Parts: sequence; C-alpha cells; structure tokens
Amino acid sequence: MVAFVRCLSATAICLMGLTQCLADGLETAAEQQQSWALQTVRRAKLPEVRNSNWPRREIDYFVLARLDSAGLAPVQGAGPRTLLRRLYFDLIGLPPSPEEIRAYMADESANRFERLVNRLLESPQFGERWGRHWLDVVRFAESSGKEFNFSYPHAWPYRDYVIDSLNADKPYDQFIREQLAGDLLHANHPPEQQNDDLLIATGFLAIGPKRHNNRQRGFDADMVDELIDVTMRSVLGLTVACARCHDHKFDPISSSDYYALAGIFSSTAPLYGTIKQKYSKHPTDLVAIGPNARQMHIAAEAHDTKIKEAAEKLSQEQEKLKQAEEQLNLVAENPDQQAATGDADPTEATAAEEKDTELAALKAQVAALEKGVEELKASAPPRPRYTVSARDRKKPANAQIAIRGNPGNLGDEVPRGYLKCLHLESVPPPSAEQSGRLELARWLTSPENPLTARVMVNRIWRHLFGAGLVRSVDDFGQLGTPPSHPELLDWLASEFISADWSVKHMIRTIVLSRSYRLSSAADERGMEVDPANVMLWRMSPRRLEAEAIRDALLAASGQLDLSRPVGSPVTDLGDQLVRGVNLDQLRPSSNHRSVYLPVVRDYPPKLFELFDFPSADLVSGNRVATTGPLQDLYLRNDLEMHKHSRAMAELLLEKTPASDEARVQLAFELGFGRLPSAEEQAASLSLIDDLLKHTNGAEPDKPKAANRSQEESDANETVSPTVEAWSALCQALFGSAEFRYLVDIDYAR
Amino acid sequence: MRGEISRRQCLHIGSTAFGSLAWAALQGHAQVARGMDRAPNAARLAPRAKRVIFLFMNGGPSQHDMFDYKPELAKRSGQTGRDKKKPLIGPITTFAQHGNSGQWISDFLPHLANQADQLCVIRSMQTNSSAHPLAIPLLHTGSFQFTRPSMGSWILYGLGTENKDLPGYISINPTRTFGGPSNYGSAFLPSNFQATRIGWQGKSLRDATIENIGPDGAPTTTAKRQVELSQMLNRSLLARGQAIHSVRGALDSLDLSLRMEAVVPHVMNLAEETVDTLSMYGIDQKPTDNFARQCLLARRFAEAGVRFIQLTHGGWDHHSNLNKKLPDRCADIDKPIAALLTDLKQRGMLEDTLVLWIGEFGRQPDTQILNGKLADGRDHNAKGYCAWLAGGGVREGISHGATDELGYEAVENQVHLYDLQATILHLVGLDHTKLTYRYSGRDFRLTDVHGQVVHDILT
Repeated sequence: MVAFVRCLSATAICLMGLTQCLADGLETAAEQQQSWALQTVRRAKLPEVRNSNWPRREIDYFVLARLDSAGLAPVQGAGPRTLLRRLYFDLIGLPPSPEEIRAYMADESANRFERLVNRLLESPQFGERWGRHWLDVVRFAESSGKEFNFSYPHAWPYRDYVIDSLNADKPYDQFIREQLAGDLLHANHPPEQQNDDLLIATGFLAIGPKRHNNRQRGFDADMVDELIDVTMRSVLGLTVACARCHDHKFDPISSSDYYALAGIFSSTAPLYGTIKQKYSKHPTDLVAIGPNARQMHIAAEAHDTKIKEAAEKLSQEQEKLKQAEEQLNLVAENPDQQAATGDADPTEATAAEEKDTELAALKAQVAALEKGVEELKASAPPRPRYTVSARDRKKPANAQIAIRGNPGNLGDEVPRGYLKCLHLESVPPPSAEQSGRLELARWLTSPENPLTARVMVNRIWRHLFGAGLVRSVDDFGQLGTPPSHPELLDWLASEFISADWSVKHMIRTIVLSRSYRLSSAADERGMEVDPANVMLWRMSPRRLEAEAIRDALLAASGQLDLSRPVGSPVTDLGDQLVRGVNLDQLRPSSNHRSVYLPVVRDYPPKLFELFDFPSADLVSGNRVATTGPLQDLYLRNDLEMHKHSRAMAELLLEKTPASDEARVQLAFELGFGRLPSAEEQAASLSLIDDLLKHTNGAEPDKPKAANRSQEESDANETVSPTVEAWSALCQALFGSAEFRYLVDIDYAR
Repeated sequence: MRGEISRRQCLHIGSTAFGSLAWAALQGHAQVARGMDRAPNAARLAPRAKRVIFLFMNGGPSQHDMFDYKPELAKRSGQTGRDKKKPLIGPITTFAQHGNSGQWISDFLPHLANQADQLCVIRSMQTNSSAHPLAIPLLHTGSFQFTRPSMGSWILYGLGTENKDLPGYISINPTRTFGGPSNYGSAFLPSNFQATRIGWQGKSLRDATIENIGPDGAPTTTAKRQVELSQMLNRSLLARGQAIHSVRGALDSLDLSLRMEAVVPHVMNLAEETVDTLSMYGIDQKPTDNFARQCLLARRFAEAGVRFIQLTHGGWDHHSNLNKKLPDRCADIDKPIAALLTDLKQRGMLEDTLVLWIGEFGRQPDTQILNGKLADGRDHNAKGYCAWLAGGGVREGISHGATDELGYEAVENQVHLYDLQATILHLVGLDHTKLTYRYSGRDFRLTDVHGQVVHDILT
C-alpha cells in the first residue's frame, strides 16, 4: 500500500481506483460484446402505433409507440406563445421581443412555425447558443486552472470558431476532423493562403486544464491523458482514461488501446502560449492569424529584436555615463586634496575640462539613444492576432505502456492506433510520417463508427428536451444509462449521417415533431407512471441556463448588445497568474451576450457560479439546475440586477408614457412573453401605487445592495421615485420563477 | 456475479450522469437539486458529530516546535542528521507536559496548552506530496491531479443542511492560491454543495460579508413589496399546475433568502457577544484580532447549524526566519483557538462539533538550505507531521502514533491523510466507502480507493 501511494505521489495517479475496479468489475467478455452502443447503427422501420393520426414526423412514431406500450398518452400540444418562447430559447437562447410575439400571433399562415424555425436557425444568435453547448463539452476556458492558474490570452479565437462553425452548419464530421487535425488538413494550403479556421480549430487540443509548474514528463503525460479523455468522451461518449493504469473493467478498452491513442497525442504539440515565468515552465508558440498574419508577425518580431538591441546599447551607455559621473563625484567630494597641495596644476585643470566634455558627449549619446528607443517603441508595427492551436511534433513516436500509469515504469511499446473494440476496415492506420491525428479523426468520423453520430444526436436531443435519450450523455459505456428509445436514437443517428452530418437539419427535424411541441402540463397518469418523463408524454419544464438567464435580463431591459466583441478581456490581461488579478477584471461588466464573457477557470461570473455553470475542468454535456437562496439573494440584491431593473423601468416609462396598464403589460411581455392575468395586473399596479405613496414627499427607499460603492450610492440619489417603483416591479418579475423557467404560458386571461 | 449484475442493472434504471438526482426524480421528486439532494442511505452511519470546524494552517506548521516533542532531537541539535549537509535543529523553544493527560505542547502555545486534555494529537500524519500546490488540493479534495469535490461538499452532500436559513458550508478567508476556489468547490457535485465564501486570506474580516447580504438585515419597504409580488407570481404559476416541484422549490428558496438576509447579519454580528467573550478570543487585540474573529464567527455559525466551517490562516511556510515568524504565527492563533474550544465546551457544543487543526504537511527536523547556505528554517515534510482533533466522538487528551526519534517520518500507527478523511466522514456519520457520486462512468469517493478509519482515536 505504501509503495502504491508513493508511486501515486511520485508520478501519475491511477485514474480509476484500481482495487475498486477489480472488486466491482465485470469479467465476462460476453457482456462486453453485448454493449448496445458498439452495435452498428440500424435505421429501424417506423413502429406501429395505435393512433396513426397523432404522429406528424417520423420521430413521433417512436415516441408514441413507447407511450402505447406503457399505456400512456401524450398531453395536448403547447399553445403558440409557449412554443414561440420555447423555440426562441432553445434555438437562440434569447426571449422573443414583444414585437416578434405580436407578429407571430398575428401571422395566420399554416407554416408560421416552420418559417420561424428556419429564421431562427439562420440567425447569427443560433451559433452563440449552440456553440456554448459545445464549449461545455470541450471544457473551453481562457486559463489553465489547477494550482497555478495562468491566463490563456489567445484562447478566444477557438470560441468564435465554434460559434461560426455552428452558424455555417459545418458538417459535424468535418467539425470534428478540423478540431482534431485542422493543422494537418491545412498542410496542403499554400502559406500565402492561410486558412485561419483550420489552425484555430485545433485549439481544442490546447485549452484543457494544465499544471504548468509540473515537471516535463508529468506535464506531458497528464496533457496526453487529458486529450484522450476529452476526445473520447466528447466524440464517442467513452471513458478511456481508466485504461491509463489497467484494462477498463466495464468497457472493452484495454491498456494497449490507451497507449495506442497516447502515441498519437504524445506526437502532438498543443500550442496554448504562456510565457516562461515563475511556476510556468512549458511555454509554447502561438499561431498568428488574420490578414497578412505571417508577414506582420515576422515584421513585429524583427522590430522587437531591434528594440531589444537598442535598449541593450542604451543600457551599456547608461552604465558608462554612471561610472563617469561617479568618478567625477569622487573628485568633487575630495577638493581638500587639491587645496592641500597649494596651487592647482594647470594640466589637471585641462584634464577636468576634458572630462566635462567627455561627460557632456556621453550624456548627449544616452539622450539620443533614449530617444531612439522611444521612437522605435512608438513606431512598432501592429502585431497580428494570435490563436491557440496545435501541430505535430518533429518525430512521431509510439508510446510505451506505463505500468500502473507510472511513466517511470515502462512496458511494451504499442503501435499508434484506435480502440480495438471499434475496428473499422475502411480507416487506414495512423501514418508513419505524422502523429496520426488525421487518421484518428477519420476513424472517429467514419459513417461506420457507431458511436459518433449516436452521441451527437443525443446531445442535440438533450438540449431540446432537457434530457438525452441516453441520459448519461457523456457516457455511452456500460456504466452509463441505456437509451430510453433505442430505435429512435438509431433512426436519428442514421438520419444525421445521411443528411451530411447537418446539426441544423437534426434540430429542424426534432423541433418540427409533434413530440417537441407538447405542453409541459402535468397529467395525473403521466406523473404516476413516469414522473421523470422518460417516455416523453409531455415536454419537461426546464430552467434556463445561466447564460440564457443573463441574456434574457439584458434583452428584457433593452441593454443587450448583439454585436460580437473583438477578442476577450483575457487578451488584455496578458500572460499572468490569475490569482493576482483583481476580480473586477476577471468579471468585467458587459452588455454582450454571455458566451462572450471571459471564462477564467475557477472565476466564472457570479451569476454563472450560482446558476450551475459547469466546471471548465470537466467534460460537461449535462448541466444540472439547482435552486437555493443564494440565487435569490443575487437576483434581489446584486448591483448588476439593480442595473437591469433600472434600465427596464426606464424603457417602460419611455416606451409607453400613456398608461400604467400598458406599462405593466409590456413588462410582462418583456419578462414572460405573455400578458398579465387580471390578478397579476392588479397586483403589479398596486405595487407601483404603494411605492409611490410610500415615497410621496419623503426620501425614497433605496434598494439595498451589499458592498455598494460610494459612486453607486451617488448615482442612486438622482433616481426619481417613479423609476424606483417601476424598477421594483421589474426586479420582482426577474426574481420570480417564471422568468427563468420554460413552462406553458398560454392560458385564458 | 449474478447479484453484481442485478445491482448494476438497478443502477442503469436508477442512475444517470447525475447519480442520485435522477433517482430522486424517478421517485417523483422532480425538484432534483433543491439543496435537499442526499447521498445514498447506505452511506449513513450513527453520527458522533453534527458539524465540523476545519482550521487550515496554510504553509505547513512546524510540528517540532509545537506538538511533536523529541528529546533526542533537542539533544542532537546542531549535529548531523540523515543528511550530512543539514544539521538538526532542536525545538526552538521549550516543551512541557500539560493537563491530566500530560500532552507535550510547546510554550509557543500557552493558551492551547490549557486545553491539552481536550486534544487528540495525531503525531504520525502522512500525505502524498511535500509541494504546496499538490498537498493543498489533496488535503481539501483528496486529489491534486483532477478537480474533485471538497471535503465540505461531500459532507453537505452526505448529510444535508441543519439550518435552512444559512448556507450549509462556509469558508472564511480562503486562499486564492494553489487551486483557490477549487479547494472549497463542489466540482461535479451540484453547485449548491460548494462553500459560501466570506473574505479572503490576508484580508481583514472586520467588514467582510456573504455576497449580497448587507450588514443590516431588515429589508426595505420596496424590497418587501418586491418579494411579495414575486411570490404572488410564483403562486399563480403553481396554481396553473406548471413545473410544480421546481416552482415550489423556487418559492421556498425566495422565502429562505429573506430569512437568510435577516439571520446572517445577526449571526455575523460579534457585538452581540459579551466583553468577556470578545476578550477571551482576543478580538480587538494584537495580534489575534483577525483570527479571533474567524474563530468566534465559526462558533456562531456552528451554533446556528452550519454543517462545515473552514477557517484559513496563512504564513506558516517557514523556510527562513523560523525563530521570529513561528512564535508570531503561534501567537496569532493560540488564544483564539483555545477560546473556541473553551467556548464550545462551556456551551455543551464540543461533544457534537468536530474541530480539526492541520496544515497541508509539516516540516523537517533539520536545517533548510537556501541559496547554498544554512538558513534559520525548516523544509517541508510530508512523511511525518501533526494534526489534532477535538470534540465529537474523538478521545480526549491522547496522542496517537509517533515519528522516529528525530521526527523525520511517522513510524508508528501512521495515519495517512486519506485515513484522516475517512475518519472525519465516519465521525459525522458517513461511510467513506459508500459516500459515492456517479460522474463520467464511475462512482467517485472523497478517499478514492484509500483510507481506513482510525478506530483507535474514537471514543
């Protein structure tokens, strides 16, 4: 035991608890072969259903057949406002504006929903929503995390690449190939026609959590391990990392499979940047991007060399000047010596004069050099932008099995390759000349690979229904959950491949189904038989994610800036230890969409931290939705929330100056996408009345916020009681559950 | 093997990537993570302590000058030890036996020495790394290689909260270094199991608050009316039969936020304490003020039912200036910790509160070499160091385990950090082998595959 523990501390830790695995493990090869997820995808025939009038699309047959078998019936369809709000949040992560709601409600054409789906899929906001889903899976962040958390100032291009790829509906297989091997795909491009996207895509390999203070061997082994883990889990839904120390005990993955992959990734150099400084031992290059990137980079580097040389020369001259001055001072400090000798020696006087001249010349020289350095600095050519990326190491090499995960105890060499349980005839083995990433990417995205399409359509399903058909979306192994609708999953996977891996096609196919358009109303029989809604008898009510909550706050208050910011605030921080950075700089105020806020490991924005933004150290295809009072304290008291409420109040007062009733209606449309009930309308108006009466002639109450700065307090002084009262109403809407839940909102007023 | 499979098939039905959450959902409790989410019942044992106060000494305090008295080391001070280049340093101050138990404690800790009969000193601690960046996450989460839930998160997940008006897990003045927030984070556990932070290490606690709770608990008229309207809207949503469990959860939680807002400033208001108490802890006195506030706050939070409270005190990394700095650091904490123990005892709380004092590791018995020269300091030591426990379920006035005669490493009844973590879980009523959470195709534990409860130190 002690020896084992030593091995852990000395080197790499056994990822999966060895003894636990041995105790729990299943030994039957038969069961491994049964694994449903490794079977070939088969497009099933549409099943028989009792009520053949109900299905509208293929998906509906599978859903209804499953409900039939359990003696359940689907609930009624959702109303138009409900559907509109659901579709907006699901497709673009934003609420529909009151104008959009009215236009939709007024549209009487039969295909208004279908047209809306197409419009939202084409909107640039689509990629910002669905890109973020992918960023969760690939643990995107702009710092290294771990004990010494270094900033990654040039990670943001990868974020934009993901967003743009989804907007362009890049085929998913190509999307994966680019992230795994964009640099190798790029090899055929002439240098003057650099395709930035292909180089940015491999940032996927560079943005993982890393311990930059680690020794080289451990650093490399951990990085390779992290890459195997993220690649296999994101694309295949398989946990392969256990096999670093021993054969996987639940899935048919052996240590030699792991080291076959390890050889590919250890022949790869992720380029994450960083500079050599204390605790940061492994800096890498970055890749210059943008128009004329190479030339600009070369020019900027050459200019920097000039500055460096000039600065060196300057410092030499400064040193000379300093010495000369010291010498002179030495003489000046001992005038007695001269006085004691009586008369002054004329030759010495001449020498002194000469010294003065020399000194003056030196001073002039230093001044000129200083000016030169300043001028050089001022005339520095602009640098290009840079990105995280990856490239092959000079010599690809196979890995040796590290016995029990200990890189100090090496066993047999394993040829680079893929998982043996997924042998695909059509995919060639890794090339001898390259790392093998390109072939790995081809193996992953081969239409014959049974997992890739299944895993991705399941991720898409999860974001539209709140849970995957396979609920453990990142784990399709034996310990994951089996699919609730296996034939539907396969139908979707096969549809995905035949539609050229189009994500938008799959989203369209799913949201146009009748199953997606069900109400979220509870039904007694459904709640009794299937409370978790595994069989999809209704649409599960869902809470919005942190990003959607924040974006909805900005949208409702008219502050949302839909333009894409250039770069990231992390770029301006430069290369440094995050722990020394002021929290305000890590969480800067912004009206841009949430996907553009900096993602610094361990320091997500406050709202994100409270509303279940996942740890950027982990592959996170599922998010949970917790509820707790710290969330309410934020919604009620945080300065950001006061800002949003105030902005929305001002918008209400400005847009509908005529009547308080109209203002309340607009407020409900902005906040909930519906009009208020009579009761709600009355309660809202009475809140406004009460607060205005309360403040009539008196100093109005200030909403309280902890840690309020003097500046903020001063700003409050100028706010009229009317704005204060309407702010309170807006904040009451923000603080209510309906603002952050997708539920039915069509009901008789 | 058949039995094994049926257990697993059961997991297939009942468990997903979010483990017992979905199990709860299947059973009809759809408000999956309302903060009421609990670990499997199989993990529950009879608890000996209801709550934990974790005093973390950041940097690695020198046990040789505080708790681990080695007459042989004193005798051979200045002579060569295991390493020819590094002469031994005897204890830099005097030790004496204290209380009926006769525990050896140095005179750097005169107040704590009076509490000798409460302490269970473990003199044979071991951990896996002697580097701060690894040892600190190990101490807090059981792992340095991967981001894992912190011990407080596991305990909150295992036991739930005792007072719904307060966060269940509070970290006072945590460090931003060496993993920073990850050391009190929940990793893959739902985020309501992470600690609520108050202050930062090295900053004065005097004006620190829980974020978004002001010092004055009474809500304004505006705030009250605002919440009333939110709740009216929530009830209207409930009446429409929408997302019943979630909305009920949101409604309760909003009420809770009002109560928390009223309760927290009260709990944090040290002015409610008597002058004698303030003075016993060392509040408004030098050099104890800041840590005294932490300790008194810990007692007040413990009293109010907070499950896990961590205090951090920094500045224990004495590679140089040991003779000056160590007594200073001891003086910071000695009186406040002694007062905390006294106070817990006199209120009858010590019997169900577990107090843990520990650094990420200890220090060497021989001389630190800095820049090729002998320094007035000691280097890190992961092979032998001291921690102590007091309170709920722990034997009083005992020492457990021993290092070799010079204090290089634990040789008798070694207690590995994982054993200590297993023991802490055991004391709060959790079986460390069964307190699991499924993530990424595997059931994770705080202690991974390690850890044995140290039964010898239990009452």
